[in-house]
Formats: sequence, structure tokens, C-alpha cells
Amino acid sequence: MRWICGVLAGAAALLVSEAAEPDKARPHWAFAPIQKVVPPEVKQSPWVRNPIDRFILARMEAAGLKPAPSAPPHELRRRLHFGLTGLPPAPSATAAAAADAALVDQLLASPHYGERWARHWLDVVRYADSNGLDENAAHANAWRYRDYVVNSFNADKPYSRFLTEQIAGDLLPAAGAPQRHEQITATGFLTLGPKVLAEPDKMKMEMDIIDEQIDTLGRAVLGLTLGCARCHDHKFDPIATAEYYALAGIFKSTRSMASLVTIAKWYEHPLATPQQAQLEEKHRALVEAQKKVIAAFVEKANQQLLVDKAPAPLPAKPEEQYGKDTRDELEGLRARLKQMESGAPRMPSAMGVADGAATNLPVFLRGDHDSPGTVQPRRFPRVLSSGQPLALEGNASGRLELAQWLAGAENPLTARVLVNRVWRWHFGRGIVPTPDNFGLQGEPPTHPELLDWLAGWFVENGSSLKKLNRLIVTSATYQQASAASAESLARDPDNLLYTRAPLRRLEAEALRDAMLEVCGLLDRTVGGTLWEFENYKLVFDHTSKDMTTYETRRRSLYLPVIRNHVFDQFELFDFPNPNMMSGDRAASTVAPQALYLMNSPLVLRAAEALALRLTEAPPQERVAQLYQRVLARPPTPTESARAVAFVARFPGSPGTTVKAAAPAPVWQALAQALLAGNEFIYLR
Amino acid sequence: MRAYTQVTRREVLQRSALGFGALALTGMLAGEAAASDPASPRRPHFRARARRVIFLFMKGGPSHVDTFEHKPLLQRDHGKPLPFAKPKVTFAQTGNLLASPWKFREHGQCGHRVSELFPHVARHVDELCFLHSMHGTNPAHGGALLKLHTGSDNFVRPSMGAWVAYGLGSENSGLPAFLTICPTLAHGGVLNWGAAFLPPHYAGTPMGNASIAAREAQVRHIKSANWTPEQQRLQLDLLEQMNRGHMAAGPADPVAAGALESRIASFELAYRMQSSMPELQDLSGETEATRQLYGMDNPVTENFGRQCLMARRFAERGVRFVQVTHSDNKVQWDQHGDLRKGHTEKAAEVDKPIAGLLTDLKARGLLEDTLVIWSGEFGRTPTVQGTTDGRDHNPWGFTAWLAGGGVKPGFRYGATDDYGFYAERERLHVHDFHATILHLLGIDHERLTFRHSGRNFRLTDVSGYVAKAILA
Repeated sequence: MRWICGVLAGAAALLVSEAAEPDKARPHWAFAPIQKVVPPEVKQSPWVRNPIDRFILARMEAAGLKPAPSAPPHELRRRLHFGLTGLPPAPSATAAAAADAALVDQLLASPHYGERWARHWLDVVRYADSNGLDENAAHANAWRYRDYVVNSFNADKPYSRFLTEQIAGDLLPAAGAPQRHEQITATGFLTLGPKVLAEPDKMKMEMDIIDEQIDTLGRAVLGLTLGCARCHDHKFDPIATAEYYALAGIFKSTRSMASLVTIAKWYEHPLATPQQAQLEEKHRALVEAQKKVIAAFVEKANQQLLVDKAPAPLPAKPEEQYGKDTRDELEGLRARLKQMESGAPRMPSAMGVADGAATNLPVFLRGDHDSPGTVQPRRFPRVLSSGQPLALEGNASGRLELAQWLAGAENPLTARVLVNRVWRWHFGRGIVPTPDNFGLQGEPPTHPELLDWLAGWFVENGSSLKKLNRLIVTSATYQQASAASAESLARDPDNLLYTRAPLRRLEAEALRDAMLEVCGLLDRTVGGTLWEFENYKLVFDHTSKDMTTYETRRRSLYLPVIRNHVFDQFELFDFPNPNMMSGDRAASTVAPQALYLMNSPLVLRAAEALALRLTEAPPQERVAQLYQRVLARPPTPTESARAVAFVARFPGSPGTTVKAAAPAPVWQALAQALLAGNEFIYLR
Repeated sequence: MRAYTQVTRREVLQRSALGFGALALTGMLAGEAAASDPASPRRPHFRARARRVIFLFMKGGPSHVDTFEHKPLLQRDHGKPLPFAKPKVTFAQTGNLLASPWKFREHGQCGHRVSELFPHVARHVDELCFLHSMHGTNPAHGGALLKLHTGSDNFVRPSMGAWVAYGLGSENSGLPAFLTICPTLAHGGVLNWGAAFLPPHYAGTPMGNASIAAREAQVRHIKSANWTPEQQRLQLDLLEQMNRGHMAAGPADPVAAGALESRIASFELAYRMQSSMPELQDLSGETEATRQLYGMDNPVTENFGRQCLMARRFAERGVRFVQVTHSDNKVQWDQHGDLRKGHTEKAAEVDKPIAGLLTDLKARGLLEDTLVIWSGEFGRTPTVQGTTDGRDHNPWGFTAWLAGGGVKPGFRYGATDDYGFYAERERLHVHDFHATILHLLGIDHERLTFRHSGRNFRLTDVSGYVAKAILA
């Protein structure tokens, strides 16, 4: 079988229905309209801080359980800082400093909030700075999309608007060039995926690209594996193959590629300002002029040849007959032209899509584009539509209608999927534990009423992510301590009822950022790109030479994401595979992570920088300084004594004072141990 | 289905397998550790003919009609057009038939014909099982590499080595189950040894890459540049005390405790690996005779010889899947032109080391249960590219060979057509090749599945048959 669609796909795939049976589908909770839910009554009402807590507490009370006490301010502060900005609290904060609503507001207003939440979204849209797959061409302009996401989160752009721009921003009206540029940059979402750029079968290449777009869009926005319907009606969800091709027609009518010739190139929108366009115009004129000079020079030299060698005709390769001086002069003129051409001003452009020729696709039987079936008018799947979905007509692709349909309040999945993602990012597990799959093969929600209440609340509140985040992190549920009572351990061992806070491990980016931050090395500049790589050029070719570099003090968000060769610290600490969308990162523990923390230059350098920042003082005070910087708390007497003893025992070190530029190794060793410790990498 | 990140006690145990092996958990969790540790060895579905794999991958696409599949009609009809149609989509244009510039001669008891490019390997023909009917789907390097390594050229899927590690675990607690020596970073790069959606500890551990000499190839961060072992021991002791203090002050939640505990153990294992890996890579204990056997005394064969010798050492210590990539930072086996020069050079680099590996494995009794695989991502066209001295990519028919663990020695399976363009008899698609390899390892390719994104995935997708005829 040509396409890869699961062990259950078989001969039945040959049968193609026009649309999946909606009646059969409707009973599945995820396809039903969002229910209006009233938060339940609870006994222990003083605990409740907002309606979320009623849903959570009601279930706990039904199970005869009680919530954990509130987290100590020091732990809660760390949780809030990392959760909302991905950065640790300032070391100056004292143990008693408040972790209150004012702190939440302050963190939500920080420009680092947008960076933190942009990274979550970038997981979902398989963001990368290179193509990966077969030919690893550089996405030198992908960063503009990343900045767009950061700015959108910082501006608290409504999610519905955010989504519409990413799917059809090029088709939306704009008040001026900046807005137009912002909106077309948003459509980078559709073209960021990995593509088989050397695919010799061009039709297959196009259909594979479309499939990747549909698959990512379906799972990211709707939590539906629409891609499964490429070769056969979806085995579990009500998505017919005919509907897949009806949707694929929208993308076939969309221009994603600039050229399909090997190595193929994706489409980019020019973003030049009028001044930049003029500059390019002037440059082009200069190049043209030089070409004319060369042409005239050659004509003259040829004429000279005719005169000199008369009556012989002009030879086939006249240049070979020129005199040395003439040849040298011509070479000089050509060298100058080459120099001019390579000095062309760089014109800004953004990855994105535009409308192409409106086309309806036939069903391709078993996904094979050599076996066309019935032509399908462009339309949306019936399962999420009320009544018969409208066929899209005319010269437009239908992408704008698709965006509006997806972002519309009546679509039951979009809001549910989003609020569940946000919940997942805060608690490490979604209310629906499979955040990318809300279909029949996904897991059902643990708290269905809460999910619908949150989705409804989100839509009513202008689909504001900042409001949703504030609601969640100010809930009593979120603010519980991680300590578990004997009863909750016995009756809620997997914490499905939220009887305590989960243990959270810092993600790869947060770990690196925190390390740089506490060691005083982090550069907090927001936005832009660090990666100077020629667009479309292969990052890795047959030479296997590694030309990537991650030597920077900027936040991890700005490190280039090179598909097939992710930064090793990211790869080790469960950075998601950027070839595939993912809303559910793992948190594995493997020995190579320990090797990284023990031996990598980054960790050693950070530990050294930290040791250098300690002021001259007796060992006990220096230990206290270290604890305050790394863990934002003073050491206990036991911890202090243990560290002081370590300092005294460590071989080859005076251990007490630092005078030279390099710190005494012992303080570096101690700093490294704190950075590698569980308290640093886990949030309680 | 339970999402991978949904934490339960059992999964904490599974996840905390530390990548490389046995997990020393204490207290209440100890009893479950052995059973749940995904890196511990597991029983195959049925009797395994091979316990481990050494995969010799020839990057670029060696020409089957110039190496291991003799085509007399190609010699006879040199310069004539191919008497049947070429595929609809090809990588490049090719012309008429091009005879092999190399002579083929019969070897061994089986009398199999091998070209003069492989004089040393030719002496082992009675050990080899040739698969002449291999075919894939993608005529470009990237797609073909991905197809051969992962079974898919357009989706991100786990590598064959990752599936084997997932299926069988590791036999050495101090080493990765899947090691890849000097892999290419191009044409799929890490995807060719990646775990995709499988848990991350099943991914291949790379040592160096194709642009690095085998002598320099190392697992990343395996050496401490800063600390003596004595200093690091003290530092890790302190770290453990700090971590234990942190645990004691925190929740008694078994999920959390399991995570914290396994992280403590991971530092101990890392500390041990620091000595076990360099010791395995240190070839100074090998005799001069062994070094010569692998061609390490000759600059032409030194690099690949070292890779092969390391592969034997890793296999000996229980690494489940070792891939050895023959590549370089030029065009490798990819002779669109300069076929005579290029193939002569490439073959000279690998011939003696491969023969040495086979001899050595046999002498040590390892060949019995080690499966050696030799293959490129595709073969090359019998038709000429350019004017006289080049061949294009050919995924429609090519040769791989197997040796050792449970395969019929001195055997040939399948054939391409008279000229070597299309696999014709007993066609063996890459999926079939994978199914057969898994079968030799005691794994039913239809039962080795992983639940992801709502369905069960396999290395062989929805197809694949086992070439039973090649089983010893």
C-alpha cells in the first residue's frame, strides 16, 4: 500500500462515501455543541477562589477527599514565574515576598510572557528554522512568524483573530503596510511544515504538502486527525475521504510553493517598504547598466577582430582570439558585475501563502494521485457543521471561509481544544489527556463539565489568553501545595482529581534560560533572529559538516530550530520533534541528561560565571549567596554545613576566597551541583 | 490510549529507564523496576535466530550491477537502448545500457559471481545471503534513506534500530541499545536513527558524524573537561545528598518520588558510562593481527576498519543494534559520473574491513547470532548517465546482503531483470526487508506496534512479508 494509514486500513478503503454519517458522529462528546454549565455547589466553599475550583472540589468531595493546603509563597512564586514567563524569580526576592494577584498581573504584562507562551504555540505548529526531511533547506525567514506569535501573545490578540490571521491573514483587509505584513507573516503557519523538496514526482510532492497542512491544521486547531482520511474514510472519526479532498481543494487552490523544481522552494511574501523597493530598483538598474557595458565591450572587441582579421569571418569563440589586455579588461568588467550581483540589498520576505488558481480536486483512491475518482467541490467536513456545509465557489480558495469557520464561536472543537491546551501547559496533563486528539480514539475528559465551562467562559471573554491564564493561575486548584495527604495518595494515586499540585519539570528552554539567568549571563532582548543563514540554502548537505552554532546568551526561544539536528541540550530534555506538531511534551529522565549537566561547556561556563559573581566572604556566607541566587532561598543550617564541608574537602582548591578572574574550582563545582540538583529542575 | 506524558507510577518507572539500562530503585518501587524497565532485555515473540544487528550502510547508492549482481546481457548489449520502458518518474535522465567496467568471477562453493571491486568480501560468499530483488519507492537520496531506515519517505517514523531497541531492549545496562557510528547528517540526518514517537530512550546514540574521522567519534559529553574523577565523585556525592534532602522535605507522592529517585540514579549511571564508553572505544588492547584484519594498518581502510572493529566490540558487549555508515564529506557512492574512479575508491575503503569483520565475528563465535546487513539506500541504473561513465539512482531494483544470525549462507534470493533495472523475481520491498530482519530477531513485524495519535504504528506500516526462503 502506498500511503501509510494504519494497520486497520484495508480493502474497505476502496469504498468512498460523500460524507461521514453525522448522526453516528453527534453522540461523541467532542462534536456536540458546548454545553452551558453552572458550576456545582460545594461544601467547603471558603476554599473556592473562582468557578474552576467548584468543578474540581465537587469531584474531590464526591470522593471524600480534601484539597491540599496552599503552596508556600516561595514555591508558588517559582511556579508562577516559570509558568507565565519561563524565567526564575529574581534572587533578590525574599522568602516572604507575596505571590499574589499583583504578581500575576505583573508577570502577564511582562514581555517575557509572550516569549514563554509563544514557545508553547510553536510546539503546536511544528515551528522550525529549516525544512528537515530530505533536503534540509534553511527557513531563514521563519523567525518573522515567531516574532508575530510573541507579539500576538503580548498584545493578547483574541485567539479567534490569531487563528484567522494564521490561516488566511493574506486575505484579510489591512489598514496599512504594517498590518498587512503582520497578517501575511501569520500565514507562515501553513508553510512551516517539513516538505520532501527533492521529490521527483511533483504531483506527489504537492499532495504531500497539502496533506501535511491538513494534518497539522486538524490536530492543532480541532484535535482531529483529518490526515487519516487521505486514503480511506477515517476509521474512527466521522471524516470521509471525499471530505478530505473537498478540504484539500482549498489548499490546492492556495499557493504554498514558489517552485517545484528540485530542490523545490516554498513561497514567500515580499515585505519590502517603498524605500527598500526603490533601493532594489536602483541596484537592479546598476546591474543592468554594467551588463550593457559588458555587451558593448564585447561588440566592440568583436568588431576589432573583424577589422584585424579581415576578410575572415568572426570565429565561433571570438573571445579566445582577443589580445591579453582586452581579455583582462573584460574579465575585470565581469568580476565587477559579479561583485555587484552578490552585493544585492537583501529584501525582507516572509514565509506564507497566497491564493492560487481555484481548483476542485477529485478523490484520489487509496491516496494515489494516479487513481482519480469523483471531483469534490471545496467544502468543510459535515461533522462540525450544522446542516449541509456550503460548497465554496468562485475564484477564491475558500481559505478565508475556512478560517472563519474554524475560529467561529459555533465550532465546538476550537475553544475546547485551546482551553485544554492551556490547562495542559499549566498542569502537565490536559482535562482531555490527549490534547492533540479529541476524536473517538482520544481519551475522554476527566472533568467534562469544567472543560465546557472553560470553553464557554473563554469565548464569552473575547477569547483572551491572558484572562484565561489569570483565571487558571489564581484558582485555589492551581495554588495548592504539592504535598499529598495519606487519603489522597490512597484514593487518588494518579492525581486525577487534582488533590495536590503536580511536580513539574522545567522544559529544555526554561532549564537553559534559568541557568543563564541565575548565573547572570542571560540577555533578555526580545525578538529578532540570531541566525544568519542564506534563505533556501542547505543547512546540512552531503558533507555532514555542522555549521550550526548555539553560542548565544539570548533566550532559548531564539536558538535556531534545525530539523534533523536539534540543539543537543534541547534534544536531551524532550524538546518536541519539530517535524511534527505536538501539544504534549514528554518529561523523560535519561542518563545522557546527567552527562550533559556534568560535562557540557554550557553548564560549566554558567557555573563558573556564577562562582565569579560571589563576593569575597567567609565560606558560609558564600554558600548562602549561592543558594539565594540559584534557588531564591537561604540554605538550611544542614545544607550550609554540608556545603562548607564540601568546600573544605574538595581537592586542589584553597576554597575560601576568589581573587583572580577564574574562580577557585571548588565554588564552580558547588555551583554546578546546585544547578544540576532536583530542586533547580523541578517545580513544586 | 494513555498519553505518554500522563504520569502514573508505572510510567514514572518506564520513563525513568535512564536510557541505558537497569534502574536501581529503592524502597517500595524496587519490586516493579525490573519488569517495567523498557531498556531491560525482553523476550522475542518466537525463537530468535539473531540477537543483535550490525548494519553496514553504504551512503550514496552502490551499483548492484557493478558489485554483487552479475548481468551478462548488460555486457552483451552495451550501448543499446533499454528494451523496455523506464519508470515514469526518475531522478535524472539516463541513456542506453552501460556494461560494467569490472569483471565478475565465481567464488566459493556456491559459485556466486562477485565483481573485482570486492576481492576480500568475495572470499566470504559462502557466508553471505544476497537479496537481489530489493526495491524501494523514492529515487532521491533523502527519501530513499528515510525509507530504508524508517520505512517511510514522507512521514516522520521511528528508525529500524529504534524499533528493535523498543522490541528487545538492551543486553548491557551500561550502554545504549542502539548506537550509530559516524552517521550522515544529510538526507534525513537524525530521523534515520530517531525514535520519532517512541519513547526517547529508544533513539540511536550517535558517535560522531560522517564529517568526523572514526578516531574522533564520541558520544557527546562523555568526557569531563573540568574535573578529575576524584573531584567529580565528591561533587556527585554532594549532589546526591542535596537531592535526598530535597526529597525528604517534599511530598510523599510516589509519582513525584519516583521521578526524583530516578533522576538521582541517572547521575550514577552517567558517571559509570564515562568510564565504560571510552574503554570500549580504546582499541589498544586489540592485537596487531586483528588490527590488520580490519585494514587498520592502511590509510585507505583505516577509518572504516576502525568503525567495523568498534562495531564488533559493541556487539560483543550486548549493544542490540549497531549501525556503521560508510560515508565521507564528498559524494560517497553516488557516481552520476566518474563511476570507475569513484566506485574503485569506495570499494577499496570498505572491502577489507567488511571481510575482516566477518572473519573476526566468525572466529569469536559471534556470527551465529549476529545479523550483519549490507545495503545502500538504492542501487544504480544499468543505463548510462552522462556519456560513458555514470549511473543514476535506482530504487526499482538493487542488492543488499545479509550474513550470520539465521540466514541461509551462500544463498541468493530474487533477481532483477536481465539488465538489472527492475526487481523481478521474488520482489523484496523495503517493508519486506524490514519484516524479514525483525523475523530473524524473533519479532513478528505485525505485532511490534506502538500506539500513537490514536492508532497502532508498525515499522512495516500495513504491508511486509517475511522472505522465509532465506531462513537457515
